[in-house]
Amino acid sequence: MEKNNKIRILLGTRKGTYVVEGDTRRKTWKVGPAAHEGSEVYHVMADSRHPGDLYAAVNSAFWGPMIQRSRNWGKTWKEIGTPLTPPKKERKPRFDDSDPTTKWAINNLWHLEPGLSSEPNTLYLGADPHLLFRSSDLGSSWDPIVSLNNHPARKDWAPGAGGACLHTILIDPRDARRLYVGLSAVGTFRSEDGGQSWKPTNKGVEAPFLPNKFPETGQCVHDVAADAADPDTFYRQDHGGMYVSHDRMEKWVRIGKPLGDDFGFTVASPSSAPGKAYFVRLDGMARVTGEGHFQVHEWNDKTRKWRKLVSPEAFPGHFGVQREGIATDNRDPAGIYVGTTTGQLFISPDAGKTWKLLPFSFPGIHSVSIANPA
Amino acid sequence: MGKVIFFNDQSDAESVVDVHLDGWLREFGPRTHEKVEAESVALLLEALEGRYPRLRFKLRDETGQLRRFVRVFVDGQDVSGTTGVTTSLSGAKAVDIIHSIAGG
Repeated sequence: MEKNNKIRILLGTRKGTYVVEGDTRRKTWKVGPAAHEGSEVYHVMADSRHPGDLYAAVNSAFWGPMIQRSRNWGKTWKEIGTPLTPPKKERKPRFDDSDPTTKWAINNLWHLEPGLSSEPNTLYLGADPHLLFRSSDLGSSWDPIVSLNNHPARKDWAPGAGGACLHTILIDPRDARRLYVGLSAVGTFRSEDGGQSWKPTNKGVEAPFLPNKFPETGQCVHDVAADAADPDTFYRQDHGGMYVSHDRMEKWVRIGKPLGDDFGFTVASPSSAPGKAYFVRLDGMARVTGEGHFQVHEWNDKTRKWRKLVSPEAFPGHFGVQREGIATDNRDPAGIYVGTTTGQLFISPDAGKTWKLLPFSFPGIHSVSIANPA
Repeated sequence: MGKVIFFNDQSDAESVVDVHLDGWLREFGPRTHEKVEAESVALLLEALEGRYPRLRFKLRDETGQLRRFVRVFVDGQDVSGTTGVTTSLSGAKAVDIIHSIAGG
């Protein structure tokens, strides 16, 4: 088998999926296969348990949401079992009234997450309206996580501006039964029992848009990243600012206030830099780059200090970066990749020391993720 | 040469409609022309989904409603924004299922 020594940047865009291939030095890049032309692709995920397998959350304006899989690094794709779709051999067109999930139409698919290596056939999927699914057969069929999808508080859940998206799914690398999810305009939840029950985990996070500023739920979480070295530590970009938790999301501490406006949509924490997280700061009102230039800030959780990584003169402009818009690779120093709503892809091969703009304009970028070399 | 058997050859010809489907839907199974026996648009879609399981949720969502940019014409009349899937096909001859002009 050919040795995989490439880093692949996987882009979900307003008009399809793109794979950008580079070498481990991260100096030269080639825009490779494109797929799903014309469809909104909210997330593309590489399954490192099965090298070559990519999954895309494709949301066609005409034919609805569908999950597509490639088994050859994006060269060809096929639709696999989208939730609620019967297995290939089962021809049962009737809607299943006993399945509570069919009370809702799936508006969009938002996030795909592979299970741990101990569960090689497990996948998770987050969808709008606030739905979570699990597959035990690599996406051929999907089971709704009813405890969350039918949560008693659901009647109070409202969508955010991007919809009622379930966009963050995190699994404790030490225990596949400990799960974390993030839901727009609802907040974060933790399960200790493989998704049978869920506890809201938003203590300390401000909801500036609600009468009660510190409710149990109702915070609009935008993105959460786990610390690679400490699975109890999480970095959170919320509508209400930038936060850290050191106790499995039991309580959150706001860290973004020194930045002034600490609004944004996305955060990442690379495996080669434990205790560090990277946030893309945006203007809280206009939702574009703060002060008219591209900004990435590094939070150092040991020193509890911020460092601005991009000089104000480097990349002036007004553009957005969405909730899946930043990714890091597994190299040391980490590569940092940021995609924008106007189709630029910024790359830093050295943990933010230097940055360059890929000389190719994509459709507006929804998501950036990385397929690391073996 | 063997006998050619048409779909539902024995059925009441009055309830069989000619369905013309958007060519883009071919990747999900159906041909551009299908003959379907059905009394309403919902039952017609259900029959098509039975023949082609991958068509499920492409024309209508999980609650059974037509997707936003799917247009259904019954004998040339657009019913998508009016009676929708409840439209009767009694006496109808032809149904067109196409995608609307949309996007940007």
